[in-house]
Amino acid sequence: MSQHTKDSQKEVKVEDLLRLKRAERPDDAFWGEFDKELHQRMLQTLVKKDPLHLQIWRTLSGRLTQSVGVACAAAFLALMVVRPVFIGTTSADLPVAQIDNSALTSTSVVEVAMSDLDVSSIEADHDYSIEGISPNVESSDERFTRDFGMEGFELAMDADYSSDEASMRPSFGSAGVATTLVY
Amino acid sequence: MATSGSVTESIFPAQEAQVSDRDLDWAVVQKVQSGNVGAYDQLVQKYREKIFSVVYNMTSNREDAADLTQETFIKAFQAIARFKGKSSFFTWIYRIAINTTMTFLKKRSRRRFISYENIDEEVSNSEIFERLTAKNQTEKGALVNELQEKLNDALQKLSLKHRTVVILHEIEGLEHAEIAEITKTSVGTVRSRLHYAKQQLQGYLKDYLG
Repeated sequence: MSQHTKDSQKEVKVEDLLRLKRAERPDDAFWGEFDKELHQRMLQTLVKKDPLHLQIWRTLSGRLTQSVGVACAAAFLALMVVRPVFIGTTSADLPVAQIDNSALTSTSVVEVAMSDLDVSSIEADHDYSIEGISPNVESSDERFTRDFGMEGFELAMDADYSSDEASMRPSFGSAGVATTLVY
Repeated sequence: MATSGSVTESIFPAQEAQVSDRDLDWAVVQKVQSGNVGAYDQLVQKYREKIFSVVYNMTSNREDAADLTQETFIKAFQAIARFKGKSSFFTWIYRIAINTTMTFLKKRSRRRFISYENIDEEVSNSEIFERLTAKNQTEKGALVNELQEKLNDALQKLSLKHRTVVILHEIEGLEHAEIAEITKTSVGTVRSRLHYAKQQLQGYLKDYLG
């Protein structure tokens, strides 16, 4: 019985055979050559690519650029959403701009409705003037308050077309601001 | 290992014994990540033989194994900036080695040739070889060569998944849980594959068993 146990303990198992594979090892000369080749290949990798810290920096800066891009896009979007509201509120409150009425010498009058012309930024010259008319702002000048109504506008247009001296470029905006160019 | 010891001393002078292998590797990895490229050599020296052994047993070709082991270390170096330390470096590099080898073997499936390493002489004098020589009535030198060929043939007959598990457990001595982490499978799957692989190998190597 004890002999049988001893024999069974000495039985060769798959695990025993597989463990023999651990003995298949390269010699020192192999590892010398291995290290040499690996260093060469690593150097080639380093030459081909930037140093590690630069790669890290590039990755970080890439993310930074992405963030800035997203922020810019968001700002642009916000501007596009907010801008019409801003224009809607301010255009209604715009006062009638009246620049250099004294330069009015010509008999022909051209009325142009423009949505967002900043009349205050245009400097008056000697031979023309720009006037803005808003429906919500009362003006002491009766001629402009009278002209802003649809009928008055059409009358003015007719008068302009009948005039040989006037050059006219009419346009109509939705903001309700009318500007008159007078030559 | 001497290199590991030096890292231990520099980071945890009073707690050398308590510092795990994983922490030591992580310290070296952080050095490499901070730009000390030379520190990577410590990791190469520590793991090159283990990685080579896995790849060699999977391919049964020493030249391919050397090439794939180098490729593994280069890939790991290129990706080390992205290594976050969630798993151990050991697990991570084993995974790279196995994936690289599997990709290579799938491409090379039809072109297969064998190139063996020499078996250590100490093992040829081991008890198992004594028993095998007595059982088969064969000259020891001839038996060593024959068994080496049969073992490699038997391993190559296994599927890649079964071969990987049996190599990592029986030859490299890794635990089931470690293999599960490396191969990204469950422990149950590892055990099941191991059982099936051993059954297959018993059939291929029956002349030497018992």
